[in-house]
Amino acid sequence: MRLQQAIADDIVVSGRGVGKTFANGTVVALKNADFDIKRGSFVSLVGPSGCGKSTLLRLVSGLIAPTSGQVNVHDTPVDGPRSDISMMFQKATLLEWRTALENVLLPTEIAGTPTKADKKRAYDLLKLVGLGDFAFSFPAQLSGGMQQRVALARLLQTGADILLLDEPFGALDEFTRERLNTELMRIVAEIGATTIFVTHNISEAIFLADQVFVMTSRPGQVAKIIDVDLERPRPLSIQTSPEFNALVADVRETLGAV
Amino acid sequence: MVAVQHVGDDRTAGNAARNLRNRRILAHAAIFVILIATWEIASRLGWLDPLFYPRPSNIMRSFWLIYVQNGNVWYHLGVTMSLVFMGFIGGSVLGIVLGSLVGLNATLRRFLKPYVIVLEATPRIAVAPLLIAALGFGVTSKIAIIVLVCFFAPFINTLSGVMNVNAEKLELFKAMGASKWQILRKLVLPDAIPVIMAGERLALTAALSGALVAEFIQRDQGIGSLILVYTRNLNMASAFACIFTLTILGFLIFRGMEIIDQYIAFWKHEGGRDRVSAKRRAAMGPQT
Repeated sequence: MRLQQAIADDIVVSGRGVGKTFANGTVVALKNADFDIKRGSFVSLVGPSGCGKSTLLRLVSGLIAPTSGQVNVHDTPVDGPRSDISMMFQKATLLEWRTALENVLLPTEIAGTPTKADKKRAYDLLKLVGLGDFAFSFPAQLSGGMQQRVALARLLQTGADILLLDEPFGALDEFTRERLNTELMRIVAEIGATTIFVTHNISEAIFLADQVFVMTSRPGQVAKIIDVDLERPRPLSIQTSPEFNALVADVRETLGAV
Repeated sequence: MVAVQHVGDDRTAGNAARNLRNRRILAHAAIFVILIATWEIASRLGWLDPLFYPRPSNIMRSFWLIYVQNGNVWYHLGVTMSLVFMGFIGGSVLGIVLGSLVGLNATLRRFLKPYVIVLEATPRIAVAPLLIAALGFGVTSKIAIIVLVCFFAPFINTLSGVMNVNAEKLELFKAMGASKWQILRKLVLPDAIPVIMAGERLALTAALSGALVAEFIQRDQGIGSLILVYTRNLNMASAFACIFTLTILGFLIFRGMEIIDQYIAFWKHEGGRDRVSAKRRAAMGPQT
């Protein structure tokens, strides 16, 4: 029955009673999370440090296993890293001995031998993120923002339809971050990927997302799921609209209430 | 540097920089000449005992003697260099292989650690006489001594290189579903290369010292024995010529390793990055 329901709603990621404890159960990182994420939607996980947002992301990615409950992706339980999920971290984590192009090709190399078409795709992705002229540059020759763009291209190279981003632009300056956020929104809309985006910035969370999971700490949990019904594409100026501010107030209230 | 006020002053600034450089070269040359002249004069006036401190002019004459007139130094130089080369290769291979094994295997590491600490605390050169006793006089024991003295730096550096893999990169590889072998080949080993190369530089310098000690003990051939022979015959000028030969050799080895590092750990050097970047672009062809 639930399976039928999932197909009807087109749910690609779901969690039922998902919990994670560390240090033999003494540290509760995440408690009893229930959620459904629709195909092609953009979900932001927002909350203070220690609210379990990165833990939740790693549970979905299969990097760690839940202590209780279950995470399903495409109706199969997650029991390890999988090829339909691609992940990006706060740091670019590029390999210094590889050019930008070779870094983008890395996931393809891990999966097998890259074909000519794979190389073409990697190069096109670099062009998509605005780095066509830097395909043969090494990470040390690129700025922090450019390195993160390479990581973004690498994220997309796998062709995975579920993208997990853990504060991907958190280490960059405000202007670069805004520009990359706008590009990210455009790109995921274009390829129709389902995206889970971790951030501790409330405005950023709302600006990007269809749904905001507000998370609170001690113990980490999903306190509230807020739907963001703002039209797309969204200009940066939307952040000063009354609707936007009402959403910010809602998130703040949820965070402050605990 | 001279501050440039106007854009049109490029040539003036260039001239100023060139003048400064020329003045510095001149100053260095002057200091060197004064030093040598003082030594020569002090020796001629009898302030320095010429028996132990030969005059620069005599050392120059010895250089001529051992390199050109007699030409006897070439053979010994060749002997020493081939010893250094073989011992260095042996010690490096041993160090890198054992360092990788111990670095990648926690169980092995736990049991070997006390012995590594003991070996690190022991001056390796002290074992040289034992090696000669065990292996006899000859090339084998000489190489064994060099292997022993230059094994440690590559071993320790490889060990720490493969152990200290960046945690974020490791998580990235795991998230991509990489196998252990892929993690080793595409992440751990390349990541360790610059540290291993730093160990290799130390090893090569140690290998030269090791070769000299081995030759001091065995006194049959090589630059080390040549220095011994000249010193015993109180031919200090020729001994100094040999020592300065080693100075030049040491410098060439250091520079040579720097150049090799530019190729092997190219991404750590600006010039290396530019060169490889241009090469990869050219290899990709007109598509870009």
